[in-house]
Amino acid sequence: MTTARAFSATRRSVGRTVLSAIIGALFIVPASWILLDSFRPNQEVLSSLTPLSWDLIIPSHLTLENYIDLLFQQGFGQSLLNSLIVCIASVVVGLAISSMAAYALAVLDFRGRGLVFAIIVISFMVPFEAIAIPLSQLFTTWGLANTLIGLILPGIGNGLAVFNLRQHFLGIPSSYREAAMLDGASEPRILFALYLRMSGSAITNSGLLIFLGQWTAFLWPLILISNSSEQLAPVSLANTFGEHGANYGENFAGAVLLALIPATTIFVLQRFFGRLSIASGEK
Amino acid sequence: MKEENMRKHLRYIAVAVSAAAAIGLAGCSTGPSSPDSGNALSLPVKDPSATITVMSIDSLGDPNHDDKVVAAFEKAHPSIKVKWQTIPFNSLTSVEDTNISNKQGTPDVYWADQPRISALAARGEAEDLTSVFSKYKSSFDASPYESGIYNGKLWALPIENSTQLLYYNKDLLKRAGITDPSPDVDRRMTWEELGDLALKAKQAGAVNGLSFGQANTYYQLEPLPVSLGGSVGANGKGNLTPDIDSAAWIKAFQWYGKVYASGAAAKGQTYSTTDPDFLAGKTAFEVQGPWLLPQLPSSGVNWGVAPMPKFAGGKAVTPDGSWSLAINPFSKQKAASAIFLKWMAIDEGSGYIKYSPVTSLAASPTGKKIYFQNDVFATPEGRNAEAIIEHETAKTAVNRVGTVGYIEFETIVGKAFSDIQNGADVESTLKQASADLTVAWAKYKS
Amino acid sequence: MFNVLTTSRGAAPARRRTTRHDLVWAMLFLAPAAIALCVLRLLPTISAVASSLYKSFPGGIVTPTFAGAGNYLSLFGDPQFLGTISRTILFNLVINPLQIGIALLIAALLVRRVHFAGLWRTLIFIPITVPVVGSCVAWGAALNPQGPINALLSAVGGTPQPFFNSPSQALASIIVVASWIGIGYWMLFLISGLEAIPEEIYEAARLDRSGPIRTFFFITVPLLRRPLLFVLVADTVANFVLFVPVQLLTQGGPQHSTNLLMYDAYETTYTFGSVNTGAAEIVVLTTIMLAFVLLQFRLLREPK
Repeated sequence: MTTARAFSATRRSVGRTVLSAIIGALFIVPASWILLDSFRPNQEVLSSLTPLSWDLIIPSHLTLENYIDLLFQQGFGQSLLNSLIVCIASVVVGLAISSMAAYALAVLDFRGRGLVFAIIVISFMVPFEAIAIPLSQLFTTWGLANTLIGLILPGIGNGLAVFNLRQHFLGIPSSYREAAMLDGASEPRILFALYLRMSGSAITNSGLLIFLGQWTAFLWPLILISNSSEQLAPVSLANTFGEHGANYGENFAGAVLLALIPATTIFVLQRFFGRLSIASGEK
Repeated sequence: MKEENMRKHLRYIAVAVSAAAAIGLAGCSTGPSSPDSGNALSLPVKDPSATITVMSIDSLGDPNHDDKVVAAFEKAHPSIKVKWQTIPFNSLTSVEDTNISNKQGTPDVYWADQPRISALAARGEAEDLTSVFSKYKSSFDASPYESGIYNGKLWALPIENSTQLLYYNKDLLKRAGITDPSPDVDRRMTWEELGDLALKAKQAGAVNGLSFGQANTYYQLEPLPVSLGGSVGANGKGNLTPDIDSAAWIKAFQWYGKVYASGAAAKGQTYSTTDPDFLAGKTAFEVQGPWLLPQLPSSGVNWGVAPMPKFAGGKAVTPDGSWSLAINPFSKQKAASAIFLKWMAIDEGSGYIKYSPVTSLAASPTGKKIYFQNDVFATPEGRNAEAIIEHETAKTAVNRVGTVGYIEFETIVGKAFSDIQNGADVESTLKQASADLTVAWAKYKS
Repeated sequence: MFNVLTTSRGAAPARRRTTRHDLVWAMLFLAPAAIALCVLRLLPTISAVASSLYKSFPGGIVTPTFAGAGNYLSLFGDPQFLGTISRTILFNLVINPLQIGIALLIAALLVRRVHFAGLWRTLIFIPITVPVVGSCVAWGAALNPQGPINALLSAVGGTPQPFFNSPSQALASIIVVASWIGIGYWMLFLISGLEAIPEEIYEAARLDRSGPIRTFFFITVPLLRRPLLFVLVADTVANFVLFVPVQLLTQGGPQHSTNLLMYDAYETTYTFGSVNTGAAEIVVLTTIMLAFVLLQFRLLREPK
């Protein structure tokens, strides 16, 4: 493995790097514009849009007023905290449920396995927007309106996470499990101590799916929560666009704050992507 | 062996599904199916002890500061506490729909858009206020009060009204050699003149010759066809027959399309860019409501106001309407809610207008007196604005179409205006919108 | 999979225990997911399908009346709705292969032989972390006919474009926004898939004197079957329910050119309050989407 990596390392090309840089720039420029404008007063954001001049990318001065107003005057800080709690809880519970289901569907053997897999994945692919209203009415009847639990529950069932984890588990040779069973390990132990340890990238991907799904949720918190103290950040952010005006500066500030968490998480987890390869463990 | 397992599986699945269905059907029918009759609407002499939930587009802090309003109310009625919920403007209707139809009684009081009140009442989402509040009819201006009437009953009380003014930038007009329009309501400009002058201003260097403050809304544009003798957009039984492709409508919107095609008005503007542009001195003429006034003194713009134009040979027509308060028919605190409504709309000249730091045009004569005490009305231009507002709200205001299908109307017609602004052929666009509207309204006719 | 019972006495009981053992554990492990499924999907789905068979006054308070297939008949009898369906299908036929194709190419570029690969990956991934509301507000301002993009175009001698204001460009502009947001996401999944391919395979291909393009299409892509299928299916689902950019930027216009099925269903349900018709539209949408997904499963399934 090391030999292979060294082999490809010597053949890194400058041309490909330049191309990558251009593509990277294309993607990051609009995002950096959002970042820049979050530090400018709203009036300036609007006036810099037209006519075109250096004003667009060179601010007259930088200010934190958008952030301060948003966090302390508009209650955005509370919303951010709510979002964090809901997302983390959803990932923990969601991964537990999905990995158990994926294990049953990839490793354990029983008749009708394929059918159950199809049912589970397809049912969770019913667009959430489709069932949001009936679901919200059910939740209200059960007393879950305006609660964080009500926000967490829809996030824990994720067909794509099950799909992804199952795909990964299918690729792990059964020799591992057979060896562990000979050692007297129980199924839960095999799943949690063995399979999950070999599934770093799949867990990260699936966890990301669940996390991002909940972090960006808009419609569900909108119809389930009407108390601003339980509201989540993306919906709170929409409050910067009221009936008689709109605050681009604050909207962008909120966007930056919301982008920070997933961005840092990805950055930290970058190193785990593709690291753990099945091929490396087989010998 | 295999078939036994398969059958066992299917049995488990079948049991799970029927259990789910049973719970689902049970869940659907829980909750009171009819409004709580034991909690009748009334204005008791002694305040009850209660907490009411109010759903609004206003926020407690910046920028609306309704916390001051709530504080004043709770001081006047100490045994009633108010819980406030702020909903973004764009989602208000759907959030109200969902919450009220849950039949759980929250919110108790909510902000209702005046032209939508007929639709709200027909859907069973508003409490009948006739018995308690119809005796206060004379405390309100006629037009906003009428917006709360459907099927002969009263369903909401107005707390705000609106009208439209023609704002202009004196410096940009001077640069183009245009004389300031007269503030006299009997000497108002025509739309045709405005189109020409706006183009002239643009050619002399203004970024925008003309802008409509709320781009492509039926609210602002309704006066155009009505000025030419057209209807407000629907007629027939219950106002459920579209009437948006008449000669008056077509002519009015051909003017509208031309103003954008000529470059006098800029395409692609939204409500979030029009006011800032005027305040930054980029726009020569803007059609907008009185809420722009308090922002003008600090903007540095050399501004003036004139009445909203009319078409040559047509009548003077202005839009009106804003927010009213309605009570949830499933509310468990109807008495406290009624007290809140009365305080907001009537007490002390209109509690809402009096204590809100962000002054809004009131829907009652007493409220308007308070409204006109704002500093901006003490300036010469401000006095012009006051005279215009008084006249328009009393004499030229025409309510938007009252129909249970209002929401579909506003949405479909708004899209048609947007297409016309972008250059689509007026007659075919309005005819297509009329067809779309007929389909959307079919459900109200069966 | 299922072992044939041998005649040996010693072996048979052990295998039967294994089968029952697997079944019991499977049911235990599947239970939480199954419960979540019933409560969070089955229940409301049944409720939604049932709702599509009724007619009611908007708002949901007046009691609904049974209408059977009435809602579906009115929908399919409305030429506007049929136009929306064909528009949605066309949209998905274009956008899914487009986004996955680009994501794959970028992933292939970044997976090795590039300096600072981690940095480029992060840059391309950043857009997905920006909340959609923020991205749409930003792109709306950028692609405004009087905005910076048109100004840049004029500066280099091109003509300003109407973008969201033109029926011929609006949908394409939506595709650009959605792709800017999503491609980085799919790229990451494909990168994991690519990195799982052992180096030895490429060495063998090189020894075979297979050129880079040939290697890519005949060796790399087939080995990517699993992640590719996953990414294609996930993207299809995401694009079928795409509606926030439409809602914030075009509201289905201009002249219905961006009126996709999901947005139409949302507008019918939440703006007009016609919950039953909206439910019927969602049923139609889900059916079409499932058809697409099944097709993809067929095309990309493992050769037996």
